[in-house]
Amino acid sequence: MKGMLRFTSAMAAGLAAIAAMLPATANAETYTAGIEASFPPWAYVENGEKKGIAVDAMRWIAKDQGIDVNFKDLPWPSLVPALGQGKIDLLVTGLDVTEKRDQVIDYSIPWYVNNDALMVPKDSDLNVVTALSNGATIGIQSGSTQYLWAKDNLVNNPDIDVSIKGYDSSVTAVEDMETGRVDSFMVDELTATEFASKRDDIKTIAILMAERPMALAVTDGDPHKLLGKLNKGIMNMVDTGNWRKIVKKYAPYMPIKNVPGYMPQNIDHYKNPPGIELDN
Amino acid sequence: MSIYGVLFEQLPYLLQGLGIAVLLLVALLLVGLILGLVFALVEIYGPLWARIPAYAVERFARGVPAIILLFLFYYGLGNLFSIGSFLAAVGALGFRSGGYQSQIFRGAIQSVPYGQMEAARAVGMSRMGAVAFIIVPQALRHAIGPWSNEFSAEFKDTSLAYVIGVIELTRQAHYIISNQHGHTLPVLLFAAVLYFIVNRFGNSLLYRLESRLEVPGFERRS
Repeated sequence: MKGMLRFTSAMAAGLAAIAAMLPATANAETYTAGIEASFPPWAYVENGEKKGIAVDAMRWIAKDQGIDVNFKDLPWPSLVPALGQGKIDLLVTGLDVTEKRDQVIDYSIPWYVNNDALMVPKDSDLNVVTALSNGATIGIQSGSTQYLWAKDNLVNNPDIDVSIKGYDSSVTAVEDMETGRVDSFMVDELTATEFASKRDDIKTIAILMAERPMALAVTDGDPHKLLGKLNKGIMNMVDTGNWRKIVKKYAPYMPIKNVPGYMPQNIDHYKNPPGIELDN
Repeated sequence: MSIYGVLFEQLPYLLQGLGIAVLLLVALLLVGLILGLVFALVEIYGPLWARIPAYAVERFARGVPAIILLFLFYYGLGNLFSIGSFLAAVGALGFRSGGYQSQIFRGAIQSVPYGQMEAARAVGMSRMGAVAFIIVPQALRHAIGPWSNEFSAEFKDTSLAYVIGVIELTRQAHYIISNQHGHTLPVLLFAAVLYFIVNRFGNSLLYRLESRLEVPGFERRS
């Protein structure tokens, strides 16, 4: 019996030793940038390579600012918690700036301002009014800014008769619309244009002027003092014309907007963004 | 290009994902095998003070969804040890598999007739020696059948590991779906075929092992 116990405790000690040998994820100089790599044109993987506007732009900024960045792909719902836990140091994807997320992460200056779009099947007769009334159903990616907006402003308004259905990805929402389970699909304007350029069975019927800023993000409180570098890098990238090159490479249809984009004053660091001087 | 052309072109990356899934499976089954044997032996032969925590931990391992264990290991334990995605997945799924394997081994050990232990003791073996050299070897042989079930279940559950950033087959399939802006069904069906092939192959190896180890004249598989 004593031998038995010795065996078990040796086993436990062995497991602890293995656990102690596990490598640390990164050294002090290299930062890990979390991406959602199934989100073209911002971030995706093709032929085993990480690509996209956000990925290339981050690589450019890192080089410009003399920092090392490696990328880690995590599914969308994991990214913000991973940033909060320090599993990743940066969030680099098509990320919308919202007040709620601002409480747990810190944003760089916006590098884009996006709108929302409403899409229907090509043969649908719905227009912007009929698609958002008369008991119509809208498919939206769950947890997205568009989902929260539609829930607060359409579904929870007793005078408007629409319902929404949440999906784990934009692709499943579109495919479900094609089978007729939802009447329309709401998504950000860029993704809508991307879909319209890749699929010929859907069309955009309305652009909703939402003016949603999009930005990079770091852990709350910016423990590695990265925000200043990011902001400086973004401005250098825009001023040297490299931002335009990167955007046009991945999304030729995408209009270039002023950087920094619209900065809501209730977001931390938007009154006095570190690293840059605002003209006004 | 048709979606089938794309699948053919992306096959190396899907196979790379499959390789990661198989690697994860082998590692987690090994962790589960060790933990499972320890749990089973403690639950059957251990003193009360060891049995109670063993039961508690094993029940927890079997009673919590795999996806939650993945998050607990990656974000919870990961804070103490700074482990990467793959090792966190090995830990989480291996821990859970340990819970299930312990019950396979417990059943197999208890199905060895008690007379075996009495006979071993009668010829002068210690209790410890009888367990190690008489009971467990026979039990392991009986355990292969139910263990092949655990093999299949765990292999399919490796498809959850992408939630903590393990780029296995399902995640590689997601890449193709998002790059193509559609074709969810054919891509996932193709991934399903790859899972199925490896699963069948693994199971037939285990069945072959089982019939190699059977005692002629006493046990038959079919």
